Amino acid sequence: MKPADLIVSPGPHWHSGARKTTIAYHTMLALVPAAVWGITQYGLDAVRVISLSIACAMLAEWGFRKLVRKPDSLADGTAALSGLLLALILPASTPWHMILIGNVLGIVVGKECFGGLGANPLNPVLVGYAALRITTPWAGHLDFDLALINYQLGYPLEFPLAVLRAKGATALGQFPLGQLFLGQQTGGIGAVGMVWLLIGGLYLVLRGFAPWRIPLAFLLGSFVTSGIFWLANGELHASPLFHLLTGNLMIGAFFLATDPSSSPVNRWPQLIFGFACGLLAILLRAWSNYADGVVFAILLMNLCVPLLDQLTVKQRHAPRAAVPSALNPPATEEGAAS
Amino acid sequence: MSYMRDFTRGLWDELPPFRMVLGLCPVLAVTKSAEGGLGMGLCVIFVLTLSNIIVSALRRVIPRKVRIASFIVIIATFVVIVELVTQAYFYSIYTTLGLFIPLIVVNCIILGRAEAFASRNGVFRSTLDGLGVGLGFTLSLTVLGSIREILGNGTWFDMPLMWSSFEPFTFMVEAPGAFVCLGLMLGAMNAISGTRAS
Repeated sequence: MKPADLIVSPGPHWHSGARKTTIAYHTMLALVPAAVWGITQYGLDAVRVISLSIACAMLAEWGFRKLVRKPDSLADGTAALSGLLLALILPASTPWHMILIGNVLGIVVGKECFGGLGANPLNPVLVGYAALRITTPWAGHLDFDLALINYQLGYPLEFPLAVLRAKGATALGQFPLGQLFLGQQTGGIGAVGMVWLLIGGLYLVLRGFAPWRIPLAFLLGSFVTSGIFWLANGELHASPLFHLLTGNLMIGAFFLATDPSSSPVNRWPQLIFGFACGLLAILLRAWSNYADGVVFAILLMNLCVPLLDQLTVKQRHAPRAAVPSALNPPATEEGAAS
Repeated sequence: MSYMRDFTRGLWDELPPFRMVLGLCPVLAVTKSAEGGLGMGLCVIFVLTLSNIIVSALRRVIPRKVRIASFIVIIATFVVIVELVTQAYFYSIYTTLGLFIPLIVVNCIILGRAEAFASRNGVFRSTLDGLGVGLGFTLSLTVLGSIREILGNGTWFDMPLMWSSFEPFTFMVEAPGAFVCLGLMLGAMNAISGTRAS
């Protein structure tokens, strides 16, 4: 068996010199402020959801890899990161069976069935969340107004985006932007602490663990799109800053859209990917049946990543048809892999 | 021995949805409930067996060049019979399956067996083949439908199975649940036959 000169493998290809384990643990570190903010708001319930979710994700990965006799990969920390991220976009009162099923579906169907870390076309966290979200009888557990009805936190406990949806932008006076920015709003456990997410996200970007183009383009895309809506009809549509500071948008831009294996690796595709995510998120907020569409926007754009990445493939040596990609695997793949 | 083989081939080696990966459209669409899966399977057994018999009996008469059209006419005849009979006597199955009964005409499995087996073999062997493949199809659909119905609706053949506070995981009876469930079953069957072979 001679060593291959050119190794053809699925993403992630961009790297900062860090190993995947380093990236996973630093991403978790960057999420700690937002998680701690959630815990200060919702107390032990938030601790329950976060710890159960991490445990379920790790158990799902360990169990499935045991079942298919693959080497154990728990130590790379990506399963724990998935569990943490899923917990942070769920409300603090989520029942245990939803946490379990969301994590198992996300890890097993969303990641391991496609070949494990690096081969998943979709972000496993979002796969799990979407499966829970489209299950109609469980919608009440994910509806923040219903799920968080038993809490007293000293600020209006209505999901801002649901209010926007039901009453239009004129009813948003009860949500001052400063309060939203500080995280005094309803939402997922860790998705509401905007200032903490921003700090964590900036840490990730500055350390190079996440490509800065995706979050920047994401925020820009949602800002521009919501700006257009706002200028067109300011009574119906909220201001761009309101959109940036509510729902899953901040956690989506910095932590969900930047998942290494389900986001583009080239520069322009990263910008297009982020911008389109932001655009779709706002369109879904304005026109879909869901109050917050960030999850579905990112999932949809994840599917476009192989196409986006082909946009800027350099064609010095090979015509387009022969450029290897996820959609167009090279004929000699077996030779290179073995 | 060889006759036995004709019958059992359809039960594992060439199990239609999972081994040959044929006829997936009805497999995904009608397995919202075990009843739908079983009903569809029984319709397919009927059509597949009889069309295999007729195709096999006429295999020396049908001109080579127009054989596909002839097969379709034969299959369509039996599908019309099935449609009228279910409409008259099994109306609940007829409403459950809806459009997918007429669509049996273009089901790849039936056309595939006519082309690959019945048009080349005798009537008795074709009958066994049709019964075996049809039975395999029925079992697959019933199992898939049972899994989806139990998880997604909490019932099995409309009998409530789960405790009273069970909130059904309706993801399983929606379209994505069909793909996920089918994919996992396919993978599991490949894994089983892989360990058998090695």
